[in-house]
Amino acid sequence: MIGLLSRTILMGTPLLYGSLSEVYAERSGVMNTAIEGIFLMGAWAGFVAAYQTGGNLVIGLLAAMGAGVLTAVLYGWITIYLKQQQIVTGVAINILALGICSFFQRVIFGVPLTPLIVEPLQPIAIPILSNVPVIGSILFNQNILTYLLFVLVPVASFVLYKTSLGLSIRSIGENPEAGDVAGLRVDRLRFLTILFAGVMCGIGGAFYSIGYLGMFTTTIIGGRGWIAFAICFLGNWKPYGVLIGTLIFGLAEALAISMQSSGQSIFPNELFIALPYILTIVLTVARRSFNVPAELGIPYRKEG
Amino acid sequence: MAVLLGLIVSGLLLLFLGENPLTAMAMLFSSLFRDGYTFADIFVKATPLMFTALAFALAFQANLFNIGAQGQFYIGSIVAVSASLLLQDKLPGGLVLIIVAAATILAGGVWGGLIGWLKARFNANEFLVSMMSTYVALNIMNYLLRTWLLESKGEYPQTNPLDKTVWLPIIFPGTRLHSGFILALLTCIGVWILLYKLPLGFRIRAAGQGKDATAMAGINYKTLYIIAFFISGALAALGGFVEVNGAQHMLVQGFNPDVGAAGIGIAILANGNPIGIIFASILFGALKVGGTIMGQLAGIPSSITELMLGSVMVFVILGYFVREKLEENREKAKLKEAVSV
Repeated sequence: MIGLLSRTILMGTPLLYGSLSEVYAERSGVMNTAIEGIFLMGAWAGFVAAYQTGGNLVIGLLAAMGAGVLTAVLYGWITIYLKQQQIVTGVAINILALGICSFFQRVIFGVPLTPLIVEPLQPIAIPILSNVPVIGSILFNQNILTYLLFVLVPVASFVLYKTSLGLSIRSIGENPEAGDVAGLRVDRLRFLTILFAGVMCGIGGAFYSIGYLGMFTTTIIGGRGWIAFAICFLGNWKPYGVLIGTLIFGLAEALAISMQSSGQSIFPNELFIALPYILTIVLTVARRSFNVPAELGIPYRKEG
Repeated sequence: MAVLLGLIVSGLLLLFLGENPLTAMAMLFSSLFRDGYTFADIFVKATPLMFTALAFALAFQANLFNIGAQGQFYIGSIVAVSASLLLQDKLPGGLVLIIVAAATILAGGVWGGLIGWLKARFNANEFLVSMMSTYVALNIMNYLLRTWLLESKGEYPQTNPLDKTVWLPIIFPGTRLHSGFILALLTCIGVWILLYKLPLGFRIRAAGQGKDATAMAGINYKTLYIIAFFISGALAALGGFVEVNGAQHMLVQGFNPDVGAAGIGIAILANGNPIGIIFASILFGALKVGGTIMGQLAGIPSSITELMLGSVMVFVILGYFVREKLEENREKAKLKEAVSV
């Protein structure tokens, strides 16, 4: 049971990186539909950089953020400055990302005879706190990226609701004309939220390759970027809302893993693998009271 | 133009491999025409793409996003292979093909229509639901390939091969080009007629313009969501049918994993026009065949095709921007002229 809950937090971590940044982007009025591609680029770049430096995970994470930002720049440029359709652009960039990763993976490593592995991030037990019964081993025996979120979620919520930056972001998602008249630079602010998403989703992607599995395959993300995207909807575009959402999905993934490894189940494995996706559909359908940012997905064009 | 730029970019990437991009590209083009078999293969590859592209385009005309064509394609494939295996010994081939086609249309339509229903009934986000439904379909397929549909040898996750009687007839002997291609062409034309010549198509496009306007015109947009998604799902599923009965002649785990995404790219390239989709699909088919040949001949990884597809798509979108700017400038020039006169 403790193992399951601990793994829930672990599997929820990358999703939270993704959905937290998606909250910011969508509150400003842009959907980050390149999220799956950015995750993949982060996972790949993080792995390659870590592998080439002999397992240096810090460099791996930096590379993942860099690759994430680069992808985000392309996406943001096309959707925000060139005002093109966001979903369509996202789909294109996701395919491009897949192409880049699988092509250069071959270019760099050829066809390896033995699987390429790096040592993934290790859990760090926080002294004293990790000795607290139950909670200690669930919350305080995780890796550094998870701990970072303990700080990031409250900060993200504070910035969004209590600072002028957060107010600006929220207002250009609801009424960009008013923000523009008030002197906000709508496009630039939206672009910044997408860059932020690039950093966060880069880390989220790298979590799968170097934070957890220690290897890279082109199917490593397998729609989890989209799940993070869905969590943003389900969490009603609120930082604490997506926190709850990621815990639910983390639990679904943790359950799937433990069911598969126990191997003595009357249900087929595939059902458990499909569980997070089915859950997304069910929750998307069940969740009614949406608080959608008014201008979500609509490029801002100045009059004149 | 966008296509050319996409090719150039992917060509430049070949430099990383230490290959000369010009010779590689020359090889790509010459190899496409080296024999009838290879040339015909372009159209074989284009066939399922037409269906998935139509699936995206039709929903897109109603301002709906069906990102789940991949899953609907798999559902169609599963039904096609199961129905064919079940009936191939019992009924004459031609009749089986008709029944199988009807069954795939129904299954894909219901799978897709369900998404439309969730949208209409619960206002569920169809983009997310259709995206997730692909992963569900994939897992259903994997499960069935491991259990009910597993080949008799039980070695690989694939089905027994289909009887020759239920193969779609070959058009040109000596190639793999099958009559599914004709069906795809006819479907493209059919969808064009549906969209631009029939009342239902008018309604679908009207819904795309904004649902307030349609509601006022007395069209129930909720029913329209379901109908549009039903047709969309049925189209993608038919793609599975022609691929299974026409080209693969069995169901193999993880086959055609990019047919859905490429379909979206094609629909974008063709600007959602069913006739444009024919040509765009053939182009993508050529890229796929060329990419595979490059992989065999020059040791260039076949993932170069995804790279080409992705960059072509990005350039197409940039092309839209350029076109918008040009039109804008033309308008401005007109205005100036009018003012100066």
